[in-house]
Order: sequence, then structure tokens, then C-alpha cells
Amino acid sequence: MSFRRKKGAEVEETLKRIQSQKGVQGIIIVNSEGIPVKSTLDNQSTVQYSALIHQLVMKARSTLRDIDPQNDLTFLRVRSKKNEIMIAPDKDYFLIVIQNPSA
Amino acid sequence: MTILYFSLYHFIIEGHKGVIGTIIVNSEGLPIRTTLDNSTTSLYARLLRSFTTLARSAVRDVDPQNDLTFVRIRSKKQEILVAPENNFLLIVIQNPSE
Repeated sequence: MSFRRKKGAEVEETLKRIQSQKGVQGIIIVNSEGIPVKSTLDNQSTVQYSALIHQLVMKARSTLRDIDPQNDLTFLRVRSKKNEIMIAPDKDYFLIVIQNPSA
Repeated sequence: MTILYFSLYHFIIEGHKGVIGTIIVNSEGLPIRTTLDNSTTSLYARLLRSFTTLARSAVRDVDPQNDLTFVRIRSKKQEILVAPENNFLLIVIQNPSE
């Protein structure tokens, strides 16, 4: 398998593994510009979540840098009455997982 | 009632290992209790109030019936927990857990 295809397969597998966890409602991968590149949700939800969360991640990052310019975001967890959104930022992408925490 | 609840939380949390500081911010954005120095407190209070507002509106934009209950911002050097309650904020800054 070419390197590209192998990486692609790994990503698919990881997504499937996360998706199969109890309570996971959706997974979105967003690139550094806030554009969703992969999602298990419908288009409308994907676009909405991506835009809102991109804004939130930018804000979290600037909050941390204002406190300490040497510091950076490693994880973000936003819990609400109905679900929990977990955001794992990476250099070029961020992974968003929406789950029902009580499941 | 909320102030009592928060103050209790404050005392309990402060004893925990790894907690760097706790701040309670009132509905006007003013820190009313803190274990940190004044300038650090004001900085955290201002920044996190602003962040929490954004997080709350993001949650409500997706579902107006939903509401924010907790925020956890993890960074390389520390972890910031924010619990909003009745427009008050309880902020806990701690060492990032392993």
C-alpha cells in the first residue's frame, strides 16, 4: 500500500474505533482554516459545529497565550446539559468528538 | 445561596493537591474570592469570562434548549476548569493531570 493510502486507512480505522465507543454522537476533523475535512455528521451540523468550534479554539488559544505566551492548548472539553464536545488540536488539524457523557 | 455553594467548593478544592489557584467571579465579572494575587486574578477573570461567554453562545447556537455546564482548557503547563453557575464563575487552575 502506498504511504498515502496507508495513512488514509489508519485515519479511517481510528475514526471507526472512536465512533464505535458508546455515546459518541459524531466526529469531525477540521483543518487549520476551520474547514471540515471529514465528518460522521450531516452536512448542516458539520458546518455549524466546525465554524463555532474553530472560533472557540482560536479563543482558547489566545486566552492561554495572553496568560503565558510560551503555553499552548493541548485539549479542550466543553460540557453542556445535553452532550460534551471534546477537541484535540494538532499542528494542522483538530479533531472534534461530540458525545453523550452519560452513555 | 450560590455564593455559599461556591465558597464551600472553594474551600474544598483549595485543599487538593495540584491546585494552583481558585477564583470566584460574580455576575458583573468582578472577582469576589481568590487565592491568587490581584493582577493574575484580574487577568484570568477577564479572559475566562470572555471565553465562557463564547462557549455558552456556541452551545446555544447549536441548540437553544441546551446550556453550558463546564469547560476544561488543558494546556502544556496547566489546566483551567471553569464552572458557570447563575452568571457566576468558579475558576480552578491546576497542574495538568497525568
